[in-house]
Amino acid sequence: MTAVHRSVVYDWLRHDKKFPHVWCPGCGLGILLGSLVRSLAQGGYDKNQVVLVSGIGCSGRLPVYVDVGSVHTTHGRALTFATGVKLAKPDLKVIVVMGDGDATAIGGNHLIHAARRNLDLTAIIVNNLTYGMTGGQYSPTTPLGAKATTAPYGHSEPSFDISALTVTAGASFVARSTVYHVTQLDQMLGQAIAKKGFGVVEVLSPCHTNYGRQNRLGSQVEMMKGFKKQAVRMDRWEKMSPADREGRFAIGVLADHERPTFLETYQGAVDRAQAIRKEG
Amino acid sequence: MIANEATTKRGKPQTKHSFYPAWCKRCGNCVAFCPVGILVADEWGYPRQVDKDRCTGCGLCEMLCPDFAITVGYEKPGAVDLAHPASALDSPEVIQEKSDAAKAASNISPERLAPVPREEK
Repeated sequence: MTAVHRSVVYDWLRHDKKFPHVWCPGCGLGILLGSLVRSLAQGGYDKNQVVLVSGIGCSGRLPVYVDVGSVHTTHGRALTFATGVKLAKPDLKVIVVMGDGDATAIGGNHLIHAARRNLDLTAIIVNNLTYGMTGGQYSPTTPLGAKATTAPYGHSEPSFDISALTVTAGASFVARSTVYHVTQLDQMLGQAIAKKGFGVVEVLSPCHTNYGRQNRLGSQVEMMKGFKKQAVRMDRWEKMSPADREGRFAIGVLADHERPTFLETYQGAVDRAQAIRKEG
Repeated sequence: MIANEATTKRGKPQTKHSFYPAWCKRCGNCVAFCPVGILVADEWGYPRQVDKDRCTGCGLCEMLCPDFAITVGYEKPGAVDLAHPASALDSPEVIQEKSDAAKAASNISPERLAPVPREEK
């Protein structure tokens, strides 16, 4: 691995795609885009080796701006398209960028089954706690009591913990970070991409235009300062009492273990079937 | 550019911020999160590097910029930043230098050198 300069981002952008990009001023997706490109360049990947797949939502625009093979798919089905790409061309690095509504609501089943199969993909789940593009409706990750366009008196459902869900479903690598912790985000993305098996990186990103405005959280600067206050390193999180954990979240690597991937187990089945045919 | 061609101060290469106002959306991330507080929003809301000597070159402004509108490099001696219009925060010499350079370079559109100030709320 060689050290690359930050300015490598400009080599990976599609400059014909009308910059500045479509996202709101201060949106975390731009920071994630830079971080993703830096971690890909840092990992020494070639542009022809990488495929970016996205669903619908603000995060769906992200692969459009990167000069790699990219697929902009239907709502919630980014992981299914990525599964097809990976099975057809196992040599490619397939990275799926999804929003929280895309990954846990519409594509919730695809997420848990991709984690269960342990397919060799990287899923980057941008969690902004709301459906930002459509106007701030509540999503499965909206916290209990938070306001949304469809919950003007406070949300009445508890939220999903995406990282805990994917750890339980069997993903090989699960990490959580925020766009404020950008240097850590670079490392987490690099580890998840290098990992053999299903890697999940949950990235908390501010949506000050919808979620922040409705919940009076201020601009993206205040929301990112809030991430700084609420985020706790994994080693400290383990020592904290449940009362201290209230209103906070852990950042860092939440799960990292080796499991046979879907391609390996499937190859095992193919080998067994061929052996039986030869005998018969 | 290479570090050894840059202007040095106490043996340390002096850093230089390059801003791309065409891509900047004036969100204020760089101004809010500069660890040494040397980036200041000018009268239009665009960031400005006010104290070059205290810049540590950490690159946080570049990494936290969602619009790729800042790069941190090294200062080239005698270079005039034509990508950014002169601001009230600049010294009188810099303002003069920029207006002379703008007059000399006829290929730069006047809009690029004088953006419309943001309306006060």
